[in-house]
Amino acid sequence: MVMKKNPLRKRYLRDLRGDIGKYLVIFVLLVLTISEVSGFLVAENSMISAYNESFTKYNTEHGNFTAQKKMNAAQKKRVEALHVTLYDLFYSEIETDNGSTLRVFADRKEVNVPCVMDGALPEQKDEIAIDRMYAQNNGIAVGDTLRVGDNAFTVSGLVALPDYSALFSDNNDSMFDALRFGAGVVTQEAFDAFGNEQKVWRYAWKYETEPSGEEEEKEMADDFLAALAGEVSLSGYIPRYLNQAIQYTGSDLGSDRATIQMFFYIVVVIITFVFAITTSNTIAKESTVIGTLRASGFTKGELVRHYLFLPLAVTLVAALIGNILGYTVLKEWNASLYYNSYSLPTYETRWNAQAFVQTTVLPVIIMILVNTGILTRRLSLSPLQFLRRELKKKSGRGAMPLSKRIPFFTRFRTRVILQNRSNYLLLGIGIFFANVLLMFGLMMPSMLDRYESRLPETMLSNYQYILQLPAGAIDEEEKLAAVLKMMRFSKAMETDNPDAEKFSAQVLRTYPDGDYKGEDILLYGIGEDSRYVSLELQPGDVYISSTYAEKMFLNVGDTVTLKEPYGDASYDFTITGISDYEGSLSLFLPQADLNERFDLGRNTFTGYFSDTEITDIDQAYIGQVIDEEALTKVSRQLTHSIGDALIVINAFSVAIFITLVFLLSKIIIEKNAQSISMTKILGYTGREISALYIVSTTIMVLLFILISLPLCYRAMEWLFRVLFLSKMNGWIPYYIGREVYLKMIAMGILTYAIVAVAEYHKIRKIPMEEALKNVE
Amino acid sequence: MFLEIKGIKKGYGQGDSRVEVLKGIDIEVEQGSFVVLLGPSGSGKSTLLNIIGGIDTADEGDITIRGESMGHMGEKKLTQYRRQHLGYIFQMYNLIPNLTVRENIEVGAYLSKQPLDVDELLETLGLAAHQGKLPNQLSGGQQQRTSIGRAIVKNPDILLCDEPTGALDFNTSKEILKLIETVNAQYGNTIVMVTHNDAIRLMADRVIRLRDGVIRKDERNTEKISAEALEW
Repeated sequence: MVMKKNPLRKRYLRDLRGDIGKYLVIFVLLVLTISEVSGFLVAENSMISAYNESFTKYNTEHGNFTAQKKMNAAQKKRVEALHVTLYDLFYSEIETDNGSTLRVFADRKEVNVPCVMDGALPEQKDEIAIDRMYAQNNGIAVGDTLRVGDNAFTVSGLVALPDYSALFSDNNDSMFDALRFGAGVVTQEAFDAFGNEQKVWRYAWKYETEPSGEEEEKEMADDFLAALAGEVSLSGYIPRYLNQAIQYTGSDLGSDRATIQMFFYIVVVIITFVFAITTSNTIAKESTVIGTLRASGFTKGELVRHYLFLPLAVTLVAALIGNILGYTVLKEWNASLYYNSYSLPTYETRWNAQAFVQTTVLPVIIMILVNTGILTRRLSLSPLQFLRRELKKKSGRGAMPLSKRIPFFTRFRTRVILQNRSNYLLLGIGIFFANVLLMFGLMMPSMLDRYESRLPETMLSNYQYILQLPAGAIDEEEKLAAVLKMMRFSKAMETDNPDAEKFSAQVLRTYPDGDYKGEDILLYGIGEDSRYVSLELQPGDVYISSTYAEKMFLNVGDTVTLKEPYGDASYDFTITGISDYEGSLSLFLPQADLNERFDLGRNTFTGYFSDTEITDIDQAYIGQVIDEEALTKVSRQLTHSIGDALIVINAFSVAIFITLVFLLSKIIIEKNAQSISMTKILGYTGREISALYIVSTTIMVLLFILISLPLCYRAMEWLFRVLFLSKMNGWIPYYIGREVYLKMIAMGILTYAIVAVAEYHKIRKIPMEEALKNVE
Repeated sequence: MFLEIKGIKKGYGQGDSRVEVLKGIDIEVEQGSFVVLLGPSGSGKSTLLNIIGGIDTADEGDITIRGESMGHMGEKKLTQYRRQHLGYIFQMYNLIPNLTVRENIEVGAYLSKQPLDVDELLETLGLAAHQGKLPNQLSGGQQQRTSIGRAIVKNPDILLCDEPTGALDFNTSKEILKLIETVNAQYGNTIVMVTHNDAIRLMADRVIRLRDGVIRKDERNTEKISAEALEW
């Protein structure tokens, strides 16, 4: 038996041509979304692979420590007897002629081997290879001359150093700074030429046996530190699992996936419902045709498949083209976003089956399921009902009473809005999501600007110095030696700077909650009559900084529990006040309280506030300097990292907005084509008809824009907090400037104006014969 | 003359497939008269009505109303022409589905500087009790009455009726015809009605029979009978 082809298939191309505007905008939006998401997933997956493989490929250290003096051969031998291999990782940190700081290493051959991204490693004494990210941010290219201190180097190559995938200059920093800090390698000969006084004696180590997991790695690191401290005077100790310069990139890679996927599925679901509504509209329009076909013997299944075909075909083709673009253009672009933030090595594109399933298979399945469901329901009426145009099962539902005192046009528009409430609901949801994106795109620059501009006002002092005892300096088992060392250090930590004011500091950590990371909280013990902290703390008072309160939703009266970063002890604090300090997540106590609580001794201090720079304390005892530059690292890096992404986010939001408003207002006009035609016959002018039908949509669009603003504010606040809690240390006060709202409203109105013009032309084109169609 | 139709010709299609629907129609209609255009399907009666109504254009010929020619009217002027002079009643009612009965009538009222009183009209049409209902909650007769209300609320010079009873049963059709008769008597509107129901000719002042795009017969009805007495 010969299978007969359904003659209705001949309509597909004609239907497509007949409604090309609708299919084109949906197609474009789908292609844009799928290509971006596919590109993102492929780039991210490839980047994660490149990052993970870099540990082996470039022989990344298991940790590094900094010795106060260069180790001698015997010391090294004794340390290596602890089942580790040591590698020299000496560096000099030198100011460059562009005002940034470059950490210069001798070329590494065995550990943390550089990945050459462009050019070559230095071969001559006057050559230097520098971090690609740093070079890009400072406009340095291969062949350029770079003045590093007193030396001029020719840049021979751009590299990625596996121990600096995120350019943290200090492991205590809340954010890396790829703009003003970089790393580079010179030849051994060139490095040797630097004076020893400039050099930092850093050593990398690798365990003989690879740790099986983070827990074992932590144990091994603790054991190694205990043994190492007996051999070497340490001024720094950073096992790999705690090294932000290595780990931060890894933790960030992959963290955006859930957000991007959520955004993608929202767009897919919205488009699916747009298809469903347009298909329902087509069914209403073709009611008598469907009735005739059903009466002639066409099955419901045949008609469901018929009306499903075009939406499905458009989705499939868009998904395929989106994937092709995703694997080519958009992959490169997304990879460039990562390269814009991190010093990642070169990557190879990895085929990502998951990306294909998520961007192609799942959208098609969603499209099939939702549309089949809606079509099956809509086509379940009898042929006679279709022929009689009785498409609603509940036709008895009455009209909402509207007072005749309400002006006629207002009532008319109200009826149009009520008639199209499901369309408008979808439009409202779409506008909300588009505005969330738009708000994110617009708010970040203004929020970061505000943060930076307000910071000097809220800083406790121009400089804060957190002092440190060199790691391993105190041997708890030898109390007497420890006390003597403490006395020596106390003397070395005194300053003659008259602006300096002592405080005690202690770092504790929040308990990570769910997916949120633990975070360091800096506890300040403030002396009586402080010149810098005007809280007038009384014994027992515990104030927290406003950023801490805002980020963690804390209020006066709440009790917070903090723990030691590398110990088991935990501490409870009941908040008695909130200080207007935005610099960091901090807790303020009277100095005596803090010293007592942590057994520090009555007169102990561990830091200085000062409005002028303190220059008479050995750098080895300064663990951290908190100044304006340190506090603005987060905002600077965020501005740099997400700058390009914000443009795309804004473009996407406008695309979603315009697509939805265009499609849904088109549907509303098509649905009312006969009524519009009738009003034309009756003598209504184009302006009057527009006032009835376009103004209804205008009112709703404006209403949704306005309603969406406070909702977006709340949604963004939540997203922003989740972003910071899960990914970032510190906090930037959440702030949406008035100009952001104004821009959002202006963009919404401008975008809608374009659609309204298209609508106006569409109304003008509706022929008066439309009203006569059902006479035939 | 109130309404003059001169040499109207209209065809559709091109080349071999061209069909001449109207082949030269000349009619003069007095104000306040009730004219019925009779004819089989394809005779051109609805096309003529649409041309009179300004929703279709003639290939040749002209229509003047109160001496004003439609031939030179652009889209805006035609809109004003329909707005000022015409009321339309269709076979399928063409009510706006999301407006109530009252609101559908107000659609017409809005267009007139001196519309009839909507409440009074609702009473006259027997729709007062249904004024808050949507069209899909009404019977065919009620929908057509609403459509008549919409057409006459602006008290138009000419009421164009295109098969107004074509979708209705006998009793409802008579009801509607009675209503049109009342409107004609009460408000003095000129009525041009297209129908293929031969019985309706008996209530008209004038009956024009069309076939194949030409007037076959144009007769004055000297013995009008009321709609009530019509039988078919």
